[in-house]
Amino acid sequence: MLTPAELVWLIAAVAKGDEAAFERLYAATRAKLFGVVLRILRRQDLAEEVIQEAYVKIWNSAGKFNPGLSSPITWMVSIARNRAIDVVRKRTEVSIEEEPAAMEVAADTPDPLARREMTEELKRLLECVGRLEPDRQKLVLLAYYNGWSREQLAAKFETPVNTVKTWLRRSMLDIRECLGL
Amino acid sequence: MMAYSEDDIALAAEYALGTLDADERTQVESMISLDKAFAAIVEAWEHKLGILNQMVGSIEPPPELWDKIKTAVGHAEPQAPLLLPDAPPPPPVAAEVVETTAAAADTANVIRLSAQARRWRRVATFTTAIAAALVAMIAVGVYQPDLLPDGIRPKSRVQVVEVKTPAGPAPSAQYVAVLQKEGGSPAFILTVDAATRNFTVRKVDAAAEPGKSFELWLISDKLPRPRSLGVIGGADFTARPVLSSYDTDIVNTATYAVTVEQAGGSPDGNPHSAPVFAGKLIEAVPPR
Repeated sequence: MLTPAELVWLIAAVAKGDEAAFERLYAATRAKLFGVVLRILRRQDLAEEVIQEAYVKIWNSAGKFNPGLSSPITWMVSIARNRAIDVVRKRTEVSIEEEPAAMEVAADTPDPLARREMTEELKRLLECVGRLEPDRQKLVLLAYYNGWSREQLAAKFETPVNTVKTWLRRSMLDIRECLGL
Repeated sequence: MMAYSEDDIALAAEYALGTLDADERTQVESMISLDKAFAAIVEAWEHKLGILNQMVGSIEPPPELWDKIKTAVGHAEPQAPLLLPDAPPPPPVAAEVVETTAAAADTANVIRLSAQARRWRRVATFTTAIAAALVAMIAVGVYQPDLLPDGIRPKSRVQVVEVKTPAGPAPSAQYVAVLQKEGGSPAFILTVDAATRNFTVRKVDAAAEPGKSFELWLISDKLPRPRSLGVIGGADFTARPVLSSYDTDIVNTATYAVTVEQAGGSPDGNPHSAPVFAGKLIEAVPPR
Protein backbone atom coordinates (compact mmCIF):
# COMPACT_ATOMS: atom_id res chain seq x y z
CA MET A 1 0.00 0.00 0.00
CA LEU A 2 1.28 3.41 -0.89
CA THR A 3 1.57 6.09 1.73
CA PRO A 4 -0.79 9.07 1.63
CA ALA A 5 2.12 11.23 0.49
CA GLU A 6 2.77 8.92 -2.45
CA LEU A 7 -0.91 9.00 -3.35
CA VAL A 8 -0.91 12.80 -3.28
CA TRP A 9 2.04 12.76 -5.65
CA LEU A 10 0.24 10.33 -7.96
CA ILE A 11 -2.91 12.45 -8.02
CA ALA A 12 -0.82 15.50 -8.87
CA ALA A 13 0.70 13.56 -11.77
CA VAL A 14 -2.73 12.37 -12.89
CA ALA A 15 -3.89 15.98 -12.92
CA LYS A 16 -1.20 16.59 -15.54
CA GLY A 17 -2.49 13.72 -17.63
CA ASP A 18 0.11 11.14 -16.60
CA GLU A 19 -1.42 7.83 -17.62
CA ALA A 20 1.18 5.67 -15.90
CA ALA A 21 0.49 7.49 -12.65
CA PHE A 22 -3.22 6.92 -13.16
CA GLU A 23 -2.63 3.20 -13.53
CA ARG A 24 -0.58 3.13 -10.35
CA LEU A 25 -3.20 5.14 -8.54
CA TYR A 26 -5.84 2.69 -9.70
CA ALA A 27 -3.78 -0.30 -8.62
CA ALA A 28 -3.23 1.18 -5.18
CA THR A 29 -6.82 2.18 -4.50
CA ARG A 30 -9.20 0.02 -6.56
CA ALA A 31 -9.78 -2.65 -3.90
CA LYS A 32 -10.66 -0.11 -1.22
CA LEU A 33 -13.08 1.75 -3.48
CA PHE A 34 -14.62 -1.46 -4.75
CA GLY A 35 -15.07 -2.72 -1.19
CA VAL A 36 -16.88 0.47 -0.22
CA VAL A 37 -19.27 0.57 -3.18
CA LEU A 38 -19.96 -3.17 -3.28
CA ARG A 39 -21.06 -2.98 0.31
CA ILE A 40 -23.58 -0.29 -0.61
CA LEU A 41 -24.76 -1.60 -3.97
CA ARG A 42 -24.58 -5.30 -3.18
CA ARG A 43 -24.37 -6.09 -6.84
CA GLN A 44 -21.17 -6.79 -8.66
CA ASP A 45 -22.35 -5.35 -11.99
CA LEU A 46 -23.54 -2.07 -10.50
CA ALA A 47 -20.42 -1.78 -8.38
CA GLU A 48 -18.23 -2.18 -11.45
CA GLU A 49 -20.15 0.53 -13.30
CA VAL A 50 -19.86 2.89 -10.37
CA ILE A 51 -16.14 2.24 -10.00
CA GLN A 52 -15.64 2.94 -13.67
CA GLU A 53 -17.51 6.25 -13.43
CA ALA A 54 -15.67 7.14 -10.26
CA TYR A 55 -12.23 6.68 -11.79
CA VAL A 56 -13.24 8.67 -14.85
CA LYS A 57 -14.25 11.44 -12.50
CA ILE A 58 -10.99 11.08 -10.57
CA TRP A 59 -9.07 11.34 -13.86
CA ASN A 60 -11.01 14.44 -14.86
CA SER A 61 -10.98 16.22 -11.52
CA ALA A 62 -7.60 15.25 -10.09
CA GLY A 63 -6.60 18.90 -10.41
CA LYS A 64 -9.28 19.84 -7.92
CA PHE A 65 -7.97 17.59 -5.18
CA ASN A 66 -6.81 19.66 -2.25
CA PRO A 67 -4.41 17.75 -0.01
CA GLY A 68 -4.90 20.38 2.66
CA LEU A 69 -8.57 19.47 3.03
CA SER A 70 -8.69 15.76 2.65
CA SER A 71 -6.58 12.66 2.42
CA PRO A 72 -6.24 11.16 -1.07
CA ILE A 73 -8.02 7.94 -0.25
CA THR A 74 -10.88 9.69 1.54
CA TRP A 75 -11.32 12.03 -1.40
CA MET A 76 -11.42 9.12 -3.82
CA VAL A 77 -13.74 7.08 -1.62
CA SER A 78 -16.10 10.07 -1.37
CA ILE A 79 -16.32 10.31 -5.15
CA ALA A 80 -17.09 6.61 -5.52
CA ARG A 81 -19.42 6.48 -2.57
CA ASN A 82 -21.43 9.51 -3.69
CA ARG A 83 -21.92 7.90 -7.05
CA ALA A 84 -22.98 4.63 -5.40
CA ILE A 85 -25.50 6.44 -3.19
CA ASP A 86 -26.92 8.27 -6.21
CA VAL A 87 -27.40 4.96 -7.99
CA VAL A 88 -28.92 3.21 -5.02
CA ARG A 89 -31.30 6.11 -4.24
CA LYS A 90 -32.58 6.18 -7.79
CA ARG A 91 -33.05 2.44 -7.86
CA THR A 92 -34.76 2.39 -4.50
CA GLU A 93 -37.56 4.42 -5.95
CA VAL A 94 -38.29 1.69 -8.45
CA SER A 95 -37.95 -1.38 -6.34
CA ILE A 96 -36.25 -1.98 -3.09
CA GLU A 97 -36.74 -5.63 -2.30
CA GLU A 98 -36.90 -7.34 -5.66
CA GLU A 99 -33.31 -7.81 -6.47
CA PRO A 100 -33.13 -11.36 -7.69
CA ALA A 101 -29.73 -10.67 -9.09
CA ALA A 102 -28.61 -9.32 -5.77
CA MET A 103 -25.76 -11.65 -5.22
CA GLU A 104 -24.39 -12.32 -1.88
CA VAL A 105 -21.66 -9.82 -2.14
CA ALA A 106 -18.16 -11.01 -1.73
CA ALA A 107 -17.59 -11.06 1.94
CA ASP A 108 -15.04 -8.47 2.66
CA THR A 109 -12.84 -9.08 5.57
CA PRO A 110 -13.17 -5.85 7.44
CA ASP A 111 -9.78 -4.36 7.95
CA PRO A 112 -9.15 -5.05 11.58
CA LEU A 113 -9.43 -1.79 13.36
CA ALA A 114 -6.32 -2.56 15.18
CA ARG A 115 -4.28 -1.93 12.10
CA ARG A 116 -1.65 0.71 12.08
CA GLU A 117 -3.45 2.81 9.52
CA MET A 118 -6.07 3.66 12.08
CA THR A 119 -5.54 7.33 12.33
CA GLU A 120 -5.99 9.83 15.10
CA GLU A 121 -8.89 11.26 13.15
CA LEU A 122 -10.71 7.94 13.09
CA LYS A 123 -10.15 7.52 16.79
CA ARG A 124 -11.63 10.93 17.44
CA LEU A 125 -14.62 10.29 15.23
CA LEU A 126 -15.27 6.94 16.91
CA GLU A 127 -15.08 8.61 20.29
CA CYS A 128 -17.73 11.10 19.17
CA VAL A 129 -19.93 8.44 17.60
CA GLY A 130 -19.50 6.47 20.81
CA ARG A 131 -21.03 9.32 22.78
CA LEU A 132 -24.32 9.04 20.92
CA GLU A 133 -27.05 6.81 22.31
CA PRO A 134 -26.48 3.19 21.22
CA ASP A 135 -29.34 3.19 18.68
CA ARG A 136 -28.07 6.36 17.11
CA GLN A 137 -24.53 5.05 16.89
CA LYS A 138 -25.91 2.14 14.95
CA LEU A 139 -28.04 4.42 12.82
CA VAL A 140 -25.10 6.55 11.75
CA LEU A 141 -22.85 3.60 11.06
CA LEU A 142 -25.46 1.66 9.11
CA ALA A 143 -26.12 4.76 7.05
CA TYR A 144 -22.45 5.24 6.30
CA TYR A 145 -21.40 1.67 5.66
CA ASN A 146 -24.48 0.27 4.00
CA GLY A 147 -25.68 3.45 2.34
CA TRP A 148 -29.17 2.98 3.75
CA SER A 149 -31.90 5.52 3.18
CA ARG A 150 -34.06 6.96 5.95
CA GLU A 151 -36.81 4.56 4.92
CA GLN A 152 -34.54 1.56 5.24
CA LEU A 153 -33.27 2.82 8.58
CA ALA A 154 -36.86 3.39 9.75
CA ALA A 155 -37.72 -0.19 8.85
CA LYS A 156 -34.65 -1.49 10.62
CA PHE A 157 -35.36 0.48 13.78
CA GLU A 158 -39.14 -0.04 13.55
CA THR A 159 -39.74 3.64 13.92
CA PRO A 160 -41.41 6.32 11.77
CA VAL A 161 -39.32 7.93 9.05
CA ASN A 162 -39.76 11.32 10.67
CA THR A 163 -38.23 10.04 13.87
CA VAL A 164 -35.25 8.73 11.92
CA LYS A 165 -34.97 12.12 10.29
CA THR A 166 -34.86 13.82 13.68
CA TRP A 167 -32.36 11.32 15.04
CA LEU A 168 -30.05 11.72 12.07
CA ARG A 169 -30.14 15.47 12.24
CA ARG A 170 -29.50 15.50 15.98
CA SER A 171 -26.75 12.89 15.69
CA MET A 172 -24.92 14.82 13.01
CA LEU A 173 -25.10 18.04 14.97
CA ASP A 174 -23.90 16.23 18.11
CA ILE A 175 -20.98 14.77 16.20
CA ARG A 176 -20.19 18.20 14.84
CA GLU A 177 -20.12 19.70 18.28
CA CYS A 178 -18.03 16.84 19.65
CA LEU A 179 -15.51 17.17 16.82
CA GLY A 180 -15.45 20.92 17.19
CA LEU A 181 -16.31 21.29 13.53
CA MET B 1 -18.91 34.84 4.86
CA MET B 2 -22.50 33.94 5.03
CA ALA B 3 -23.72 32.25 8.19
CA TYR B 4 -25.28 28.87 7.75
CA SER B 5 -28.19 27.64 9.79
CA GLU B 6 -28.19 24.33 11.59
CA ASP B 7 -30.57 23.15 8.88
CA ASP B 8 -28.01 23.85 6.18
CA ILE B 9 -25.28 22.19 8.17
CA ALA B 10 -27.40 19.13 8.91
CA LEU B 11 -28.33 18.95 5.23
CA ALA B 12 -24.68 19.01 4.24
CA ALA B 13 -23.93 16.34 6.83
CA GLU B 14 -26.75 14.10 5.70
CA TYR B 15 -25.61 14.48 2.12
CA ALA B 16 -22.16 13.27 3.13
CA LEU B 17 -23.66 10.49 5.23
CA GLY B 18 -25.82 9.46 2.28
CA THR B 19 -29.27 9.43 3.87
CA LEU B 20 -30.96 12.04 1.68
CA ASP B 21 -33.39 10.91 -1.00
CA ALA B 22 -32.72 11.41 -4.70
CA ASP B 23 -34.47 14.81 -4.93
CA GLU B 24 -32.71 16.19 -1.87
CA ARG B 25 -29.39 14.97 -3.23
CA THR B 26 -30.01 16.78 -6.49
CA GLN B 27 -30.89 19.88 -4.52
CA VAL B 28 -27.70 19.70 -2.47
CA GLU B 29 -25.65 19.11 -5.60
CA SER B 30 -26.98 22.29 -7.15
CA MET B 31 -26.27 24.18 -3.92
CA ILE B 32 -22.72 22.82 -4.06
CA SER B 33 -22.20 24.13 -7.57
CA LEU B 34 -23.67 27.54 -6.76
CA ASP B 35 -22.24 28.21 -3.34
CA LYS B 36 -18.56 27.64 -2.69
CA ALA B 37 -18.85 28.10 1.05
CA PHE B 38 -21.61 25.52 1.25
CA ALA B 39 -19.52 23.20 -0.93
CA ALA B 40 -16.72 23.54 1.60
CA ILE B 41 -19.06 22.50 4.42
CA VAL B 42 -20.10 19.42 2.48
CA GLU B 43 -16.49 18.62 1.73
CA ALA B 44 -15.54 18.94 5.37
CA TRP B 45 -18.28 16.47 6.30
CA GLU B 46 -17.22 14.12 3.54
CA HIS B 47 -13.77 14.12 4.97
CA LYS B 48 -14.85 13.75 8.59
CA LEU B 49 -17.20 10.87 7.89
CA GLY B 50 -15.13 9.49 5.04
CA ILE B 51 -12.38 8.36 7.37
CA LEU B 52 -14.79 5.60 8.39
CA ASN B 53 -13.65 3.95 5.16
CA GLN B 54 -10.59 2.84 7.08
CA MET B 55 -12.75 0.12 8.58
CA VAL B 56 -14.13 -1.21 5.33
CA GLY B 57 -12.41 -4.24 3.91
CA SER B 58 -10.86 -4.13 0.47
CA ILE B 59 -12.26 -6.27 -2.33
CA GLU B 60 -10.45 -6.73 -5.62
CA PRO B 61 -12.52 -5.75 -8.64
CA PRO B 62 -12.23 -7.97 -11.73
CA PRO B 63 -9.07 -7.31 -13.78
CA GLU B 64 -10.96 -6.37 -16.95
CA LEU B 65 -12.43 -3.33 -15.21
CA TRP B 66 -9.18 -1.46 -15.76
CA ASP B 67 -9.49 -1.84 -19.53
CA LYS B 68 -12.96 -0.32 -19.41
CA ILE B 69 -11.71 2.60 -17.34
CA LYS B 70 -8.79 3.17 -19.71
CA THR B 71 -11.18 3.17 -22.64
CA ALA B 72 -13.52 5.52 -20.86
CA VAL B 73 -10.83 8.10 -20.14
CA GLY B 74 -9.72 7.87 -23.74
CA HIS B 75 -6.31 6.37 -23.78
CA ALA B 76 -7.10 2.85 -24.78
CA GLU B 77 -4.46 2.38 -27.44
CA PRO B 78 -3.22 -1.20 -27.38
CA GLN B 79 0.24 -1.36 -25.93
CA ALA B 80 2.91 -1.85 -28.57
CA PRO B 81 4.59 -5.21 -28.06
CA LEU B 82 8.09 -4.46 -26.88
CA LEU B 83 9.83 -7.36 -28.56
CA LEU B 84 8.30 -6.85 -31.98
CA PRO B 85 8.43 -3.17 -32.68
CA ASP B 86 7.50 -3.63 -36.34
CA ALA B 87 4.63 -5.97 -35.77
CA PRO B 88 1.18 -4.67 -36.55
CA PRO B 89 -0.94 -3.90 -33.54
CA PRO B 90 -2.73 -6.98 -32.24
CA PRO B 91 -6.39 -7.36 -33.15
CA PRO B 92 -8.28 -5.68 -30.38
CA VAL B 93 -10.72 -8.43 -29.43
CA ALA B 94 -8.83 -11.61 -30.28
CA ALA B 95 -9.35 -14.33 -27.73
CA GLU B 96 -5.62 -14.79 -27.33
CA VAL B 97 -5.17 -11.21 -26.38
CA VAL B 98 -7.84 -11.53 -23.75
CA GLU B 99 -6.13 -14.58 -22.35
CA THR B 100 -2.78 -12.91 -22.32
CA THR B 101 -4.23 -9.99 -20.49
CA ALA B 102 -5.78 -12.27 -17.95
CA ALA B 103 -2.52 -14.11 -17.47
CA ALA B 104 -0.65 -10.87 -17.07
CA ALA B 105 -3.17 -9.76 -14.53
CA ASP B 106 -2.70 -12.98 -12.60
CA THR B 107 1.01 -12.46 -12.54
CA ALA B 108 0.46 -8.96 -11.36
CA ASN B 109 -1.68 -10.29 -8.58
CA VAL B 110 1.01 -12.65 -7.44
CA ILE B 111 3.54 -9.89 -7.33
CA ARG B 112 1.19 -7.63 -5.53
CA LEU B 113 0.34 -10.28 -3.02
CA SER B 114 3.98 -11.04 -2.43
CA ALA B 115 4.56 -7.44 -1.65
CA GLN B 116 1.69 -7.44 0.71
CA ALA B 117 2.23 -10.84 2.13
CA ARG B 118 1.36 -9.62 5.55
CA ARG B 119 -2.16 -9.55 4.38
CA TRP B 120 -2.21 -13.18 3.44
CA ARG B 121 -4.33 -14.13 6.35
CA ARG B 122 -6.98 -11.74 5.21
CA VAL B 123 -6.88 -13.26 1.79
CA ALA B 124 -7.19 -16.69 3.30
CA THR B 125 -10.41 -15.80 5.02
CA PHE B 126 -11.76 -14.02 2.00
CA THR B 127 -15.05 -15.67 1.21
CA THR B 128 -17.34 -14.84 -1.61
CA ALA B 129 -20.54 -15.99 -3.13
CA ILE B 130 -18.68 -16.85 -6.24
CA ALA B 131 -16.54 -18.72 -3.79
CA ALA B 132 -16.77 -22.06 -5.50
CA ALA B 133 -15.17 -20.61 -8.57
CA LEU B 134 -12.79 -18.31 -6.89
CA VAL B 135 -9.22 -19.34 -6.52
CA ALA B 136 -7.29 -17.21 -4.16
CA MET B 137 -3.60 -17.10 -4.52
CA ILE B 138 -1.64 -16.68 -1.43
CA ALA B 139 1.98 -15.90 -1.41
CA VAL B 140 3.57 -17.58 1.52
CA GLY B 141 7.05 -17.46 2.81
CA VAL B 142 7.69 -13.79 2.74
CA TYR B 143 5.65 -13.16 5.79
CA GLN B 144 8.10 -11.07 7.68
CA PRO B 145 11.26 -10.87 5.63
CA ASP B 146 11.77 -7.32 6.77
CA LEU B 147 12.86 -8.65 10.10
CA LEU B 148 15.83 -10.43 8.60
CA PRO B 149 19.13 -8.79 7.74
CA ASP B 150 19.74 -8.40 4.02
CA GLY B 151 22.19 -11.28 3.78
CA ILE B 152 19.81 -13.99 4.85
CA ARG B 153 16.59 -12.46 3.76
CA PRO B 154 14.89 -15.01 1.53
CA LYS B 155 14.98 -13.91 -2.07
CA SER B 156 11.45 -14.06 -3.42
CA ARG B 157 10.84 -17.40 -1.82
CA VAL B 158 7.32 -17.23 -3.02
CA GLN B 159 5.12 -20.22 -2.91
CA VAL B 160 1.83 -19.93 -4.63
CA VAL B 161 -0.87 -21.87 -2.88
CA GLU B 162 -4.24 -22.32 -4.41
CA VAL B 163 -7.03 -22.24 -1.93
CA LYS B 164 -10.52 -23.07 -3.01
CA THR B 165 -12.35 -20.79 -0.70
CA PRO B 166 -15.36 -22.49 0.79
CA ALA B 167 -18.74 -20.85 0.85
CA GLY B 168 -17.98 -19.26 4.13
CA PRO B 169 -20.12 -17.96 6.94
CA ALA B 170 -22.11 -14.80 6.46
CA PRO B 171 -20.08 -11.65 6.86
CA SER B 172 -20.12 -10.65 10.45
CA ALA B 173 -20.22 -7.44 12.33
CA GLN B 174 -17.16 -5.91 13.87
CA TYR B 175 -17.45 -4.35 17.25
CA VAL B 176 -15.11 -1.86 18.69
CA ALA B 177 -14.58 -0.51 22.16
CA VAL B 178 -12.43 2.47 22.89
CA LEU B 179 -10.96 1.96 26.34
CA GLN B 180 -10.18 5.26 27.93
CA LYS B 181 -10.10 7.17 31.16
CA GLU B 182 -13.07 9.33 31.90
CA GLY B 183 -12.81 12.09 29.33
CA GLY B 184 -9.30 11.03 28.42
CA SER B 185 -7.83 10.02 25.13
CA PRO B 186 -8.12 6.38 24.03
CA ALA B 187 -5.55 4.08 25.59
CA PHE B 188 -6.60 0.80 24.02
CA ILE B 189 -8.84 -0.11 21.14
CA LEU B 190 -10.60 -3.42 21.43
CA THR B 191 -12.03 -5.00 18.31
CA VAL B 192 -14.31 -8.03 18.41
CA ASP B 193 -15.45 -10.04 15.43
CA ALA B 194 -19.08 -10.94 16.12
CA ALA B 195 -18.95 -14.30 14.38
CA THR B 196 -15.71 -15.72 15.67
CA ARG B 197 -15.65 -13.61 18.81
CA ASN B 198 -11.95 -13.25 18.40
CA PHE B 199 -10.70 -10.05 19.81
CA THR B 200 -7.75 -7.84 19.25
CA VAL B 201 -6.47 -5.18 21.56
CA ARG B 202 -4.42 -2.43 20.13
CA LYS B 203 -2.32 -0.38 22.44
CA VAL B 204 -2.73 3.23 21.47
CA ASP B 205 -1.31 5.28 24.23
CA ALA B 206 -0.49 3.43 27.41
CA ALA B 207 2.64 2.01 28.97
CA ALA B 208 2.66 -0.22 32.02
CA GLU B 209 5.01 0.71 34.83
CA PRO B 210 8.03 -1.54 35.16
CA GLY B 211 7.10 -4.72 36.99
CA LYS B 212 3.41 -4.28 36.26
CA SER B 213 1.13 -5.62 33.59
CA PHE B 214 -2.10 -4.40 32.08
CA GLU B 215 -4.86 -6.98 32.34
CA LEU B 216 -8.14 -6.89 30.43
CA TRP B 217 -11.40 -7.79 32.14
CA LEU B 218 -14.93 -8.42 31.05
CA ILE B 219 -17.49 -7.00 33.45
CA SER B 220 -21.11 -8.00 32.99
CA ASP B 221 -24.13 -7.76 35.23
CA LYS B 222 -24.89 -11.28 34.07
CA LEU B 223 -21.73 -12.62 35.66
CA PRO B 224 -20.99 -12.67 39.39
CA ARG B 225 -17.54 -11.16 39.07
CA PRO B 226 -15.15 -9.74 36.49
CA ARG B 227 -13.63 -12.32 34.19
CA SER B 228 -10.05 -11.97 33.06
CA LEU B 229 -9.44 -11.87 29.33
CA GLY B 230 -5.75 -12.05 29.95
CA VAL B 231 -2.76 -9.81 30.16
CA ILE B 232 -2.27 -7.30 27.39
CA GLY B 233 1.14 -8.05 26.02
CA GLY B 234 3.95 -5.61 25.55
CA ALA B 235 3.47 -5.63 21.79
CA ASP B 236 1.21 -3.22 19.97
CA PHE B 237 -1.34 -5.92 19.36
CA THR B 238 -2.72 -8.71 21.46
CA ALA B 239 -5.19 -11.09 19.88
CA ARG B 240 -7.08 -13.87 21.61
CA PRO B 241 -10.06 -16.11 21.02
CA VAL B 242 -11.14 -16.31 24.69
CA LEU B 243 -14.40 -14.46 24.22
CA SER B 244 -15.80 -17.42 22.31
CA SER B 245 -16.74 -19.03 25.62
CA TYR B 246 -19.14 -16.20 26.45
CA ASP B 247 -22.67 -15.61 25.18
CA THR B 248 -23.02 -13.05 22.42
CA ASP B 249 -25.31 -11.06 24.64
CA ILE B 250 -22.71 -10.84 27.39
CA VAL B 251 -19.96 -9.97 24.94
CA ASN B 252 -22.02 -7.18 23.39
CA THR B 253 -23.26 -5.57 26.56
CA ALA B 254 -20.25 -6.00 28.83
CA THR B 255 -17.93 -3.30 29.99
CA TYR B 256 -14.32 -3.93 29.12
CA ALA B 257 -11.86 -2.67 31.65
CA VAL B 258 -8.13 -2.61 32.07
CA THR B 259 -6.46 -2.86 35.45
CA VAL B 260 -2.87 -2.67 36.56
CA GLU B 261 -1.71 -5.98 37.95
CA GLN B 262 1.58 -7.47 39.04
CA ALA B 263 3.84 -8.54 36.19
CA GLY B 264 2.27 -11.46 34.36
CA GLY B 265 -1.23 -10.70 35.55
CA SER B 266 -3.48 -11.27 38.50
CA PRO B 267 -2.41 -14.42 40.39
CA ASP B 268 -5.88 -15.27 41.69
CA GLY B 269 -8.24 -14.36 38.88
CA ASN B 270 -9.47 -11.18 40.57
CA PRO B 271 -8.63 -7.63 39.63
CA HIS B 272 -6.41 -5.78 42.10
CA SER B 273 -6.89 -2.21 40.99
CA ALA B 274 -9.78 -0.05 39.97
CA PRO B 275 -10.24 -0.03 36.21
CA VAL B 276 -7.72 2.35 34.74
CA PHE B 277 -9.36 2.36 31.34
CA ALA B 278 -12.80 1.14 30.39
CA GLY B 279 -15.24 1.11 27.53
CA LYS B 280 -18.17 -0.68 25.92
CA LEU B 281 -18.49 -2.16 22.49
CA ILE B 282 -20.16 -0.30 19.70
CA GLU B 283 -21.01 -1.87 16.39
CA ALA B 284 -18.47 -0.46 14.02
CA VAL B 285 -18.94 -2.38 10.82
CA PRO B 286 -22.47 -3.75 10.81
CA PRO B 287 -23.35 -7.04 9.16
CA ARG B 288 -25.02 -6.85 5.82
